[in-house]
Amino acid sequence: MTISLAIDTSTSRTCVAIIEDGALLWSGHKDGATAHGPALPSLVSEAIKGHAIDEVVVGMGPGPFTGLRIGIAFARSFALSRNIEVRGVCSLDAIAAQVTSKDFIITVDARRKEVYWARYVDGVRVGNPAVSFPIDVVGNEIRNNLFPDLIALVALKQEFAEPIYLRHPDAVATSDR
Amino acid sequence: MTAPIVLGIETSCDETAVGIVRGRTLLANVIASSVAEHARFGGVVPEIASRAHLEAMQPTIEKALKDSKLTLKDIDAVAVTAGPGLVGALLVGVSAATGLALGLDKPIYAVNHLAAHISVDFLTHDEPLDPTIALLVSGGHSSLLQVDDITASITKLGATMDDAAGEAFDKIARVMKLGFPGGPAIDALAQTGDAQAIDFPRGLTTSNDWQTRPYDFSFSGLKTAVARYLEATPDYAKANVAASFQEAIVDVLLLKSLAACKATGINSLVIAGGVAANSRLRALAMQRCEKAGIRLRIPAPGLCTDNGAMVAALGSLMVAANRAPSPIAFDADSSLPVGVISLS
Repeated sequence: MTISLAIDTSTSRTCVAIIEDGALLWSGHKDGATAHGPALPSLVSEAIKGHAIDEVVVGMGPGPFTGLRIGIAFARSFALSRNIEVRGVCSLDAIAAQVTSKDFIITVDARRKEVYWARYVDGVRVGNPAVSFPIDVVGNEIRNNLFPDLIALVALKQEFAEPIYLRHPDAVATSDR
Repeated sequence: MTAPIVLGIETSCDETAVGIVRGRTLLANVIASSVAEHARFGGVVPEIASRAHLEAMQPTIEKALKDSKLTLKDIDAVAVTAGPGLVGALLVGVSAATGLALGLDKPIYAVNHLAAHISVDFLTHDEPLDPTIALLVSGGHSSLLQVDDITASITKLGATMDDAAGEAFDKIARVMKLGFPGGPAIDALAQTGDAQAIDFPRGLTTSNDWQTRPYDFSFSGLKTAVARYLEATPDYAKANVAASFQEAIVDVLLLKSLAACKATGINSLVIAGGVAANSRLRALAMQRCEKAGIRLRIPAPGLCTDNGAMVAALGSLMVAANRAPSPIAFDADSSLPVGVISLS
């Protein structure tokens, strides 16, 4: 028996759940593209009441950087404080798990008029997530309004140790100006 | 009962820093800096800093625990910089701190970066810190503050109207091709220069300025004056320029600090922030304060630049003063006013 604290802050929704071997014990979320900072501790403090957490599972993106890092930084130090493991999962995969179509694409807002996206065929991601302008993302079914399913997040047996950024920081070296 | 153990986290700019104190005893002060990654951009790039914070956060916490020979179970409270600073950078530290506090079920103190800079002196000098005038000078801030109670009452007397003092050091160092950050490079070069060689302007020191904005600073005129001098003097003596420029900054910082002490009747001055590591500022401050009968305190150079010990120190002072902890859910504030010492 494993009780997991699941966290995802890769979209405009801060998602938290407590899951015991695939069963949802608690879930909550708060919407707001810049609300992750206060929303996450507020949700987690409710979520963990009465539960002895065995592991933390966190969405590693892709997603807007500042919100994404809030979830990861929090998950890592919560795990450190309880001396338990933290496991990282591709957030797009946790979104895709709710869709049953044979061939589809998941997109999430990447700001700057771009989207993060990945294609899924028969429930499996094809290649790595990417960042593109929506016009360049072509497929017969594009789902752009979904949020991660945290039961799926925990069920995915992945080990992403680093955030999935997909973009380099904007900066120009003084020598190149 | 032994004094509480406070772990402090600081990520407002480019240093990922964790400090641990027991009461007023410093147990650990670990700093992972991303400054080298910013050097080729001539300044701190917020996204690079934020990524580096996330990467360094856990190892820095673990190193601080190891240095202090403690485990997280020994921690009585967590303190974290809530602002001011780069918001994306602050949020990494804030999230790590709230994760720790919730996981440990311990109180959290979300504190002001500027107040933390001043409070670190309490780890060095065994006497009450307040009341005092505080000069806070760094790459991001140049403020003159009246500290009546470090945990409850800080009033801003003045601040820079344009560049921070440290920023002026960086910009002049860039023009002179001395690298980033500029403070240590100019300080070193100035050792062999003549500080009286060139008479650079002292910003906001006309008689009218002393009437209308006695405790504000301006360094942009000085910056322009140095740039013009360099253009007009192709064979300039680098050391003399460095020494004279540094003298102009240090002189005006101290003129205004001592004027604030005199006007308020508070015969105590704390100088904090990264520029407080400047050797000329330290030496001249000692001279002038001694002459004026002002008690001068400057934290050890390693505690002047951004660090976690200062955040832990302020947390420790909050605990000792029985101040209420912050709520677990709060937002980082990139422009947190200095009067807000901790979030409630």
